[in-house]
Amino acid sequence: MVQRSPLHEIHKGLGAKFTEFAGFEMPIQYSSIKDEHLTVRKKVGLFDVSHMSNVWITGIDAEKLISLATVEDASRIGNGKSQYTEILREDGTIIDDTIFMHLDDKYMMIPNAGMASTATDWLNEKAEEYNLCAKAENFSKDYVILAIQGPKSRDTLQKLTDFDIGTVKFFGCQYIDIADTDCIISHTGYTGELGFELQITPSKTAKDVFDKILEAGKEFGIKPIGLGARDTLRLEKCFILAGNEFESGRTPLEALLGWTVNWDHDFIGKKAILKQKEKGDFQRLTYLECIEKGIPRHGCKVKKDGKDVGIVSSGTLSPCLNKGIAMAYVHPDFREKDSTLDILIRNNPVKAKIVKPPFVKKDWAEEN
Amino acid sequence: MVEEVRDDLKYTESHEWLKVEGNKAKVGITDHAQSELTDIVFVELPAVGKEIKKGDELCVVESVKSVSEIYSPVSGKILEVNKKLEDAPEIINQNPYDDGWLIEMEIEDKTEIDKLLDPESYRKSI
Repeated sequence: MVQRSPLHEIHKGLGAKFTEFAGFEMPIQYSSIKDEHLTVRKKVGLFDVSHMSNVWITGIDAEKLISLATVEDASRIGNGKSQYTEILREDGTIIDDTIFMHLDDKYMMIPNAGMASTATDWLNEKAEEYNLCAKAENFSKDYVILAIQGPKSRDTLQKLTDFDIGTVKFFGCQYIDIADTDCIISHTGYTGELGFELQITPSKTAKDVFDKILEAGKEFGIKPIGLGARDTLRLEKCFILAGNEFESGRTPLEALLGWTVNWDHDFIGKKAILKQKEKGDFQRLTYLECIEKGIPRHGCKVKKDGKDVGIVSSGTLSPCLNKGIAMAYVHPDFREKDSTLDILIRNNPVKAKIVKPPFVKKDWAEEN
Repeated sequence: MVEEVRDDLKYTESHEWLKVEGNKAKVGITDHAQSELTDIVFVELPAVGKEIKKGDELCVVESVKSVSEIYSPVSGKILEVNKKLEDAPEIINQNPYDDGWLIEMEIEDKTEIDKLLDPESYRKSI
Protein backbone atom coordinates (compact mmCIF):
# COMPACT_ATOMS: atom_id res chain seq x y z
CA MET A 1 0.00 0.00 0.00
CA VAL A 2 1.22 3.45 -0.87
CA GLN A 3 1.68 5.65 2.18
CA ARG A 4 1.00 9.35 2.33
CA SER A 5 2.36 12.11 4.49
CA PRO A 6 0.00 13.45 7.19
CA LEU A 7 0.40 16.75 5.32
CA HIS A 8 -0.93 15.33 2.03
CA GLU A 9 -4.02 17.54 1.91
CA ILE A 10 -1.94 20.66 2.53
CA HIS A 11 0.30 19.76 -0.40
CA LYS A 12 -2.74 19.22 -2.60
CA GLY A 13 -4.05 22.62 -1.60
CA LEU A 14 -0.71 24.14 -2.60
CA GLY A 15 -1.03 22.66 -6.10
CA ALA A 16 1.55 19.89 -5.72
CA LYS A 17 2.11 17.22 -8.33
CA PHE A 18 2.83 13.89 -6.70
CA THR A 19 5.16 11.01 -7.34
CA GLU A 20 5.64 7.61 -5.78
CA PHE A 21 8.98 7.24 -4.06
CA ALA A 22 9.98 4.19 -2.01
CA GLY A 23 6.33 3.38 -1.22
CA PHE A 24 5.31 6.95 -0.44
CA GLU A 25 3.21 9.31 -2.48
CA MET A 26 5.02 12.62 -2.01
CA PRO A 27 5.03 16.01 -3.76
CA ILE A 28 7.50 16.04 -6.65
CA GLN A 29 6.94 19.72 -7.39
CA TYR A 30 4.59 22.61 -6.66
CA SER A 31 5.62 25.35 -9.11
CA SER A 32 8.54 23.99 -11.13
CA ILE A 33 11.69 22.10 -10.19
CA LYS A 34 13.95 24.85 -11.52
CA ASP A 35 12.09 27.57 -9.69
CA GLU A 36 12.00 25.60 -6.44
CA HIS A 37 15.67 24.71 -6.79
CA LEU A 38 16.76 28.34 -7.18
CA THR A 39 14.47 29.40 -4.33
CA VAL A 40 16.41 27.13 -1.98
CA ARG A 41 19.79 28.30 -3.26
CA LYS A 42 18.90 31.99 -3.00
CA LYS A 43 16.14 32.31 -0.39
CA VAL A 44 14.47 29.54 1.62
CA GLY A 45 12.36 26.47 0.95
CA LEU A 46 10.20 24.18 3.06
CA PHE A 47 10.22 20.42 2.43
CA ASP A 48 8.01 17.72 3.86
CA VAL A 49 10.35 14.73 4.10
CA SER A 50 8.11 12.50 6.18
CA HIS A 51 8.94 9.60 3.86
CA MET A 52 12.22 9.38 5.77
CA SER A 53 12.20 7.02 8.75
CA ASN A 54 12.41 7.55 12.49
CA VAL A 55 13.94 4.84 14.64
CA TRP A 56 14.56 5.30 18.36
CA ILE A 57 17.48 3.36 19.80
CA THR A 58 17.39 2.94 23.58
CA GLY A 59 18.98 0.86 26.33
CA ILE A 60 22.27 1.04 28.23
CA ASP A 61 24.12 -0.39 25.22
CA ALA A 62 22.53 1.92 22.63
CA GLU A 63 25.86 3.61 21.98
CA LYS A 64 27.60 0.26 21.57
CA LEU A 65 24.95 -0.96 19.16
CA ILE A 66 25.35 2.10 16.94
CA SER A 67 29.13 1.76 17.02
CA LEU A 68 28.82 -1.87 15.99
CA ALA A 69 26.22 -1.36 13.27
CA THR A 70 27.60 1.81 11.67
CA VAL A 71 31.02 3.01 10.51
CA GLU A 72 30.98 5.65 13.27
CA ASP A 73 32.26 5.29 16.82
CA ALA A 74 29.18 6.63 18.64
CA SER A 75 31.16 7.32 21.82
CA ARG A 76 32.64 10.24 19.89
CA ILE A 77 29.23 11.82 19.35
CA GLY A 78 28.26 13.71 22.48
CA ASN A 79 24.80 14.61 23.67
CA GLY A 80 23.18 17.17 21.40
CA LYS A 81 25.21 16.15 18.37
CA SER A 82 24.22 14.27 15.25
CA GLN A 83 26.31 12.31 12.78
CA TYR A 84 26.04 11.14 9.21
CA THR A 85 27.07 7.50 8.81
CA GLU A 86 26.36 4.21 7.02
CA ILE A 87 25.09 0.80 8.11
CA LEU A 88 27.03 -2.00 6.38
CA ARG A 89 26.54 -5.67 5.71
CA GLU A 90 29.32 -8.08 6.71
CA ASP A 91 30.63 -7.87 3.13
CA GLY A 92 31.11 -4.11 3.48
CA THR A 93 28.26 -3.05 1.19
CA ILE A 94 25.93 -0.30 2.32
CA ILE A 95 22.49 -1.25 3.67
CA ASP A 96 21.59 2.37 4.29
CA ASP A 97 23.10 5.76 4.94
CA THR A 98 21.62 7.63 7.84
CA ILE A 99 21.95 10.36 10.42
CA PHE A 100 21.71 9.56 14.10
CA MET A 101 21.07 12.13 16.79
CA HIS A 102 22.28 11.81 20.36
CA LEU A 103 19.45 13.10 22.54
CA ASP A 104 20.18 12.56 26.26
CA ASP A 105 20.12 8.83 26.96
CA LYS A 106 18.59 7.90 23.56
CA TYR A 107 19.47 8.04 19.92
CA MET A 108 17.17 8.79 17.03
CA MET A 109 18.22 7.35 13.72
CA ILE A 110 16.82 8.65 10.42
CA PRO A 111 17.06 5.83 7.85
CA ASN A 112 15.95 6.44 4.27
CA ALA A 113 12.41 6.17 2.95
CA GLY A 114 11.21 2.58 3.00
CA MET A 115 14.18 1.47 5.10
CA ALA A 116 12.55 1.73 8.55
CA SER A 117 11.84 -1.96 9.09
CA THR A 118 15.06 -3.13 7.42
CA ALA A 119 17.16 -0.90 9.65
CA THR A 120 15.13 -1.66 12.80
CA ASP A 121 15.25 -5.42 12.26
CA TRP A 122 18.96 -5.35 11.45
CA LEU A 123 19.77 -3.37 14.60
CA ASN A 124 17.69 -5.67 16.81
CA GLU A 125 19.22 -8.80 15.27
CA LYS A 126 22.71 -7.45 15.89
CA ALA A 127 21.82 -6.45 19.47
CA GLU A 128 20.78 -10.02 20.12
CA GLU A 129 23.70 -11.57 18.29
CA TYR A 130 26.25 -9.48 20.21
CA ASN A 131 24.38 -9.64 23.53
CA LEU A 132 23.78 -5.93 23.77
CA CYS A 133 21.13 -4.42 25.98
CA ALA A 134 19.69 -2.11 23.35
CA LYS A 135 16.50 -1.91 21.36
CA ALA A 136 15.55 -0.26 18.07
CA GLU A 137 11.93 0.78 17.56
CA ASN A 138 10.35 2.07 14.41
CA PHE A 139 8.29 5.22 15.10
CA SER A 140 8.23 6.48 11.52
CA LYS A 141 4.45 6.70 11.35
CA ASP A 142 4.34 8.98 14.39
CA TYR A 143 6.61 11.64 12.96
CA VAL A 144 6.44 14.37 10.39
CA ILE A 145 9.86 15.56 9.22
CA LEU A 146 10.22 19.06 7.83
CA ALA A 147 13.35 20.48 6.26
CA ILE A 148 13.84 24.25 6.10
CA GLN A 149 16.72 24.95 3.77
CA GLY A 150 18.32 28.01 2.23
CA PRO A 151 20.20 31.15 3.27
CA LYS A 152 17.07 32.53 4.95
CA SER A 153 16.16 29.34 6.82
CA ARG A 154 17.52 30.52 10.15
CA ASP A 155 15.78 33.89 9.91
CA THR A 156 12.52 32.15 9.07
CA LEU A 157 12.61 29.75 12.02
CA GLN A 158 13.84 32.44 14.42
CA LYS A 159 10.53 34.26 13.98
CA LEU A 160 8.74 31.24 15.46
CA THR A 161 10.70 30.73 18.67
CA ASP A 162 12.26 32.62 21.60
CA PHE A 163 15.17 30.23 21.56
CA ASP A 164 18.28 31.57 19.79
CA ILE A 165 18.54 29.30 16.73
CA GLY A 166 22.01 30.72 16.11
CA THR A 167 23.22 28.60 19.04
CA VAL A 168 22.32 25.35 17.25
CA LYS A 169 25.65 24.38 15.75
CA PHE A 170 26.20 22.56 12.44
CA PHE A 171 25.09 18.96 13.06
CA GLY A 172 23.81 19.98 16.50
CA CYS A 173 20.42 18.70 17.64
CA GLN A 174 18.08 19.34 20.54
CA TYR A 175 14.51 19.59 21.74
CA ILE A 176 12.95 22.95 21.01
CA ASP A 177 9.61 24.71 20.96
CA ILE A 178 8.85 26.08 17.49
CA ALA A 179 5.52 27.59 16.53
CA ASP A 180 4.19 26.49 19.96
CA THR A 181 5.01 22.88 19.18
CA ASP A 182 7.60 20.51 20.65
CA CYS A 183 10.10 19.47 18.00
CA ILE A 184 13.56 18.07 17.68
CA ILE A 185 15.66 20.47 15.64
CA SER A 186 18.92 19.59 13.93
CA HIS A 187 21.21 21.81 11.91
CA THR A 188 21.33 19.35 9.01
CA GLY A 189 20.04 19.00 5.48
CA TYR A 190 20.43 17.56 2.01
CA THR A 191 20.81 20.71 -0.05
CA GLY A 192 24.26 22.04 0.84
CA GLU A 193 22.69 25.29 2.05
CA LEU A 194 22.21 26.64 5.55
CA GLY A 195 19.39 24.50 6.84
CA PHE A 196 17.52 22.76 9.59
CA GLU A 197 15.37 19.69 9.99
CA LEU A 198 12.49 19.27 12.43
CA GLN A 199 11.12 16.01 13.80
CA ILE A 200 7.56 16.56 14.93
CA THR A 201 5.28 14.25 16.86
CA PRO A 202 2.37 13.65 17.14
CA SER A 203 2.21 14.22 13.41
CA LYS A 204 -1.13 16.06 13.56
CA THR A 205 0.59 19.01 15.25
CA ALA A 206 2.86 19.36 12.22
CA LYS A 207 0.18 20.87 9.97
CA ASP A 208 0.16 23.99 12.06
CA VAL A 209 3.96 24.15 12.09
CA PHE A 210 4.09 23.75 8.30
CA ASP A 211 1.61 26.59 7.78
CA LYS A 212 3.35 28.86 10.29
CA ILE A 213 6.75 28.33 8.66
CA LEU A 214 5.33 29.22 5.25
CA GLU A 215 3.77 32.35 6.77
CA ALA A 216 6.96 33.33 8.63
CA GLY A 217 9.07 32.84 5.52
CA LYS A 218 6.84 34.94 3.28
CA GLU A 219 8.96 38.07 3.68
CA PHE A 220 12.00 36.05 2.54
CA GLY A 221 10.27 34.51 -0.49
CA ILE A 222 9.77 31.01 0.97
CA LYS A 223 8.22 28.28 -1.20
CA PRO A 224 7.23 24.67 -0.59
CA ILE A 225 9.73 22.38 -2.32
CA GLY A 226 9.12 18.92 -3.79
CA LEU A 227 11.27 15.84 -4.22
CA GLY A 228 12.28 16.92 -7.74
CA ALA A 229 14.28 19.89 -6.50
CA ARG A 230 15.45 17.90 -3.49
CA ASP A 231 17.15 15.56 -5.95
CA THR A 232 18.75 18.26 -8.11
CA LEU A 233 19.88 20.20 -5.02
CA ARG A 234 21.63 17.19 -3.51
CA LEU A 235 23.16 16.17 -6.82
CA GLU A 236 24.75 19.60 -7.37
CA LYS A 237 26.40 19.11 -3.98
CA CYS A 238 27.41 15.48 -4.71
CA PHE A 239 25.39 13.97 -1.86
CA ILE A 240 24.57 10.33 -2.49
CA LEU A 241 21.02 8.97 -2.82
CA ALA A 242 19.91 5.55 -1.60
CA GLY A 243 18.72 3.52 -4.56
CA ASN A 244 21.01 5.39 -6.96
CA GLU A 245 24.48 5.43 -5.42
CA PHE A 246 24.25 2.19 -3.46
CA GLU A 247 21.50 0.17 -5.07
CA SER A 248 23.59 -2.82 -6.04
CA GLY A 249 25.97 -3.38 -3.20
CA ARG A 250 28.44 -0.49 -3.12
CA THR A 251 30.83 0.03 -0.22
CA PRO A 252 31.60 3.37 1.51
CA LEU A 253 34.98 3.39 -0.25
CA GLU A 254 33.37 3.06 -3.67
CA ALA A 255 30.89 5.81 -2.77
CA LEU A 256 33.79 8.04 -1.62
CA LEU A 257 32.51 7.96 1.94
CA GLY A 258 35.86 6.85 3.37
CA TRP A 259 35.93 10.11 5.35
CA THR A 260 32.91 8.95 7.36
CA VAL A 261 34.58 5.69 8.41
CA ASN A 262 36.06 5.69 11.87
CA TRP A 263 38.73 3.00 11.54
CA ASP A 264 39.66 3.04 15.23
CA HIS A 265 36.71 0.92 16.30
CA ASP A 266 35.26 -2.44 15.33
CA PHE A 267 32.13 -2.47 13.24
CA ILE A 268 30.24 -4.80 10.98
CA GLY A 269 31.78 -4.78 7.50
CA LYS A 270 35.15 -3.40 8.64
CA LYS A 271 37.17 -6.44 7.61
CA ALA A 272 35.69 -6.44 4.13
CA ILE A 273 36.30 -2.77 3.43
CA LEU A 274 39.82 -2.93 4.89
CA LYS A 275 40.55 -5.66 2.42
CA GLN A 276 39.06 -3.62 -0.39
CA LYS A 277 41.13 -0.61 0.67
CA GLU A 278 44.33 -2.65 0.46
CA LYS A 279 43.50 -4.00 -2.98
CA GLY A 280 42.46 -0.61 -4.29
CA ASP A 281 41.23 -1.82 -7.68
CA PHE A 282 37.58 -0.83 -7.36
CA GLN A 283 35.32 1.63 -9.16
CA ARG A 284 34.86 4.91 -7.35
CA LEU A 285 32.27 7.62 -7.52
CA THR A 286 33.40 10.28 -9.97
CA TYR A 287 31.91 13.69 -10.69
CA LEU A 288 31.30 14.54 -14.33
CA GLU A 289 30.30 17.85 -15.86
CA CYS A 290 29.16 17.72 -19.48
CA ILE A 291 31.06 19.92 -21.90
CA GLU A 292 28.69 18.97 -24.71
CA LYS A 293 24.91 19.20 -24.73
CA GLY A 294 23.05 16.38 -23.08
CA ILE A 295 21.58 15.27 -19.80
CA PRO A 296 23.10 12.15 -18.24
CA ARG A 297 20.68 9.84 -16.43
CA HIS A 298 20.92 6.92 -14.03
CA GLY A 299 22.25 3.88 -15.89
CA CYS A 300 24.06 5.67 -18.75
CA LYS A 301 27.34 3.99 -19.65
CA VAL A 302 30.63 5.85 -19.27
CA LYS A 303 33.26 5.25 -21.93
CA LYS A 304 36.86 6.17 -22.68
CA ASP A 305 37.99 5.70 -26.28
CA GLY A 306 35.02 3.44 -26.89
CA LYS A 307 35.77 1.20 -23.92
CA ASP A 308 33.35 0.78 -20.98
CA VAL A 309 34.91 2.36 -17.90
CA GLY A 310 31.92 3.10 -15.69
CA ILE A 311 28.23 3.76 -15.16
CA VAL A 312 26.20 6.84 -14.17
CA SER A 313 24.46 6.43 -10.82
CA SER A 314 22.75 9.87 -10.84
CA GLY A 315 22.47 12.52 -13.48
CA THR A 316 20.48 15.64 -14.20
CA LEU A 317 20.60 19.07 -15.71
CA SER A 318 22.06 21.34 -13.06
CA PRO A 319 19.60 24.22 -12.64
CA CYS A 320 22.39 26.46 -11.29
CA LEU A 321 25.00 25.68 -13.95
CA ASN A 322 22.60 24.88 -16.79
CA LYS A 323 24.82 21.92 -17.73
CA GLY A 324 24.44 18.18 -17.57
CA ILE A 325 26.05 16.78 -14.42
CA ALA A 326 26.51 13.22 -13.25
CA MET A 327 27.88 11.04 -10.52
CA ALA A 328 29.27 7.87 -11.98
CA TYR A 329 31.13 4.83 -10.75
CA VAL A 330 34.35 4.81 -12.78
CA HIS A 331 37.30 2.42 -12.99
CA PRO A 332 40.25 3.77 -10.93
CA ASP A 333 42.52 4.19 -13.97
CA PHE A 334 40.23 6.70 -15.65
CA ARG A 335 39.43 9.15 -12.84
CA GLU A 336 42.06 11.83 -13.23
CA LYS A 337 40.75 15.34 -12.62
CA ASP A 338 40.20 17.44 -15.77
CA SER A 339 40.42 14.41 -18.05
CA THR A 340 37.38 13.76 -20.24
CA LEU A 341 35.12 10.76 -20.56
CA ASP A 342 32.15 10.03 -22.80
CA ILE A 343 28.72 9.50 -21.32
CA LEU A 344 26.54 7.43 -23.60
CA ILE A 345 23.14 9.11 -23.84
CA ARG A 346 20.71 7.31 -26.18
CA ASN A 347 23.73 5.83 -27.94
CA ASN A 348 25.37 9.21 -28.49
CA PRO A 349 28.65 9.87 -26.70
CA VAL A 350 28.47 13.17 -24.82
CA LYS A 351 31.82 14.55 -23.61
CA ALA A 352 32.14 15.24 -19.91
CA LYS A 353 34.99 16.51 -17.75
CA ILE A 354 35.95 15.05 -14.40
CA VAL A 355 35.59 17.79 -11.79
CA LYS A 356 36.15 18.25 -8.09
CA PRO A 357 33.03 18.08 -5.92
CA PRO A 358 30.71 19.84 -5.40
CA PHE A 359 29.45 20.90 -8.82
CA VAL A 360 27.98 24.05 -7.33
CA LYS A 361 30.32 25.84 -4.93
CA LYS A 362 29.36 27.44 -1.66
CA ASP A 363 29.29 31.04 -2.85
CA TRP A 364 27.25 30.37 -5.99
CA ALA A 365 24.17 32.32 -4.83
CA GLU A 366 26.21 35.44 -4.03
CA GLU A 367 27.85 35.43 -7.43
CA ASN A 368 24.68 34.81 -9.43
CA MET B 1 -5.08 27.21 -15.35
CA VAL B 2 -6.91 26.40 -18.55
CA GLU B 3 -4.84 24.48 -21.06
CA GLU B 4 -5.23 25.68 -24.60
CA VAL B 5 -6.45 23.33 -27.32
CA ARG B 6 -6.43 25.02 -30.70
CA ASP B 7 -9.24 24.49 -33.16
CA ASP B 8 -7.05 24.45 -36.29
CA LEU B 9 -4.91 21.47 -35.22
CA LYS B 10 -5.10 17.68 -35.11
CA TYR B 11 -4.01 15.78 -32.02
CA THR B 12 -2.74 12.43 -30.77
CA GLU B 13 -3.53 10.64 -27.54
CA SER B 14 0.15 11.00 -26.66
CA HIS B 15 -0.23 14.82 -26.73
CA GLU B 16 1.37 15.78 -30.03
CA TRP B 17 -0.26 18.27 -32.36
CA LEU B 18 -0.17 18.38 -36.15
CA LYS B 19 -0.75 21.48 -38.24
CA VAL B 20 -1.41 20.57 -41.87
CA GLU B 21 -0.49 22.96 -44.68
CA GLY B 22 -0.97 21.25 -48.05
CA ASN B 23 1.37 18.26 -48.22
CA LYS B 24 3.39 19.50 -45.30
CA ALA B 25 2.72 19.55 -41.59
CA LYS B 26 4.30 21.00 -38.49
CA VAL B 27 4.45 18.89 -35.33
CA GLY B 28 4.73 19.97 -31.71
CA ILE B 29 3.54 19.04 -28.25
CA THR B 30 0.35 20.37 -26.73
CA ASP B 31 -0.10 22.97 -24.04
CA HIS B 32 -1.25 20.17 -21.75
CA ALA B 33 1.95 18.20 -22.41
CA GLN B 34 4.27 21.13 -21.76
CA SER B 35 2.38 21.97 -18.59
CA GLU B 36 2.71 18.39 -17.35
CA LEU B 37 6.41 18.29 -18.18
CA THR B 38 7.22 21.80 -16.87
CA ASP B 39 10.71 23.23 -17.31
CA ILE B 40 11.71 21.71 -20.63
CA VAL B 41 15.50 21.86 -20.59
CA PHE B 42 16.63 19.81 -23.55
CA VAL B 43 15.32 18.77 -26.96
CA GLU B 44 16.95 16.19 -29.19
CA LEU B 45 15.79 16.78 -32.75
CA PRO B 46 15.92 14.32 -35.65
CA ALA B 47 18.08 14.70 -38.75
CA VAL B 48 16.56 16.57 -41.68
CA GLY B 49 15.73 14.13 -44.48
CA LYS B 50 14.99 11.26 -42.11
CA GLU B 51 12.01 9.09 -43.12
CA ILE B 52 9.72 8.27 -40.26
CA LYS B 53 6.66 6.11 -39.74
CA LYS B 54 3.53 7.09 -37.85
CA GLY B 55 4.05 6.27 -34.17
CA ASP B 56 7.84 6.16 -34.40
CA GLU B 57 9.97 8.20 -32.04
CA LEU B 58 10.34 11.63 -33.56
CA CYS B 59 12.41 13.35 -30.93
CA VAL B 60 13.13 13.47 -27.22
CA VAL B 61 12.08 16.22 -24.87
CA GLU B 62 13.65 16.34 -21.43
CA SER B 63 12.57 18.17 -18.32
CA VAL B 64 14.81 18.34 -15.27
CA LYS B 65 13.53 15.02 -14.00
CA SER B 66 12.13 13.19 -17.00
CA VAL B 67 12.86 12.03 -20.50
CA SER B 68 9.84 11.94 -22.83
CA GLU B 69 9.70 10.48 -26.29
CA ILE B 70 7.64 12.39 -28.82
CA TYR B 71 5.97 10.23 -31.47
CA SER B 72 5.26 11.11 -35.04
CA PRO B 73 1.51 11.61 -35.61
CA VAL B 74 1.85 10.58 -39.28
CA SER B 75 4.40 9.01 -41.63
CA GLY B 76 6.68 11.11 -43.80
CA LYS B 77 10.03 12.80 -44.28
CA ILE B 78 11.57 15.44 -42.00
CA LEU B 79 11.93 18.69 -43.94
CA GLU B 80 12.99 21.07 -41.21
CA VAL B 81 13.67 21.10 -37.49
CA ASN B 82 13.23 24.02 -35.11
CA LYS B 83 16.89 24.83 -34.45
CA LYS B 84 15.96 27.57 -31.99
CA LEU B 85 14.99 24.90 -29.49
CA GLU B 86 18.56 23.68 -29.20
CA ASP B 87 19.55 26.82 -27.32
CA ALA B 88 16.18 27.77 -25.93
CA PRO B 89 14.07 24.66 -25.24
CA GLU B 90 11.94 26.71 -22.84
CA ILE B 91 10.20 28.18 -25.91
CA ILE B 92 8.07 25.01 -25.85
CA ASN B 93 6.81 25.95 -22.38
CA GLN B 94 6.19 29.54 -23.39
CA ASN B 95 4.58 28.96 -26.74
CA PRO B 96 3.91 25.30 -27.54
CA TYR B 97 1.75 25.93 -30.63
CA ASP B 98 3.70 28.64 -32.47
CA ASP B 99 7.39 29.27 -31.77
CA GLY B 100 7.64 25.95 -29.93
CA TRP B 101 7.04 23.71 -32.97
CA LEU B 102 9.45 20.77 -33.20
CA ILE B 103 9.69 19.68 -36.82
CA GLU B 104 8.15 20.17 -40.24
CA MET B 105 7.51 17.08 -42.32
CA GLU B 106 6.28 16.03 -45.74
CA ILE B 107 3.19 13.90 -45.28
CA GLU B 108 3.40 10.52 -46.97
CA ASP B 109 -0.20 9.42 -46.66
CA LYS B 110 -2.86 12.07 -46.06
CA THR B 111 -5.46 9.49 -45.00
CA GLU B 112 -3.48 9.07 -41.75
CA ILE B 113 -4.57 12.57 -40.76
CA ASP B 114 -8.21 11.48 -40.53
CA LYS B 115 -7.33 8.99 -37.83
CA LEU B 116 -5.99 11.71 -35.52
CA LEU B 117 -8.09 13.33 -32.80
CA ASP B 118 -10.04 16.47 -33.58
CA PRO B 119 -9.80 19.34 -31.05
CA GLU B 120 -13.05 18.35 -29.36
CA SER B 121 -12.00 14.73 -28.80
CA TYR B 122 -8.59 15.80 -27.56
CA ARG B 123 -10.13 18.30 -25.13
CA LYS B 124 -12.21 15.47 -23.68
CA SER B 125 -9.17 13.22 -23.36
CA ILE B 126 -7.14 15.54 -21.12
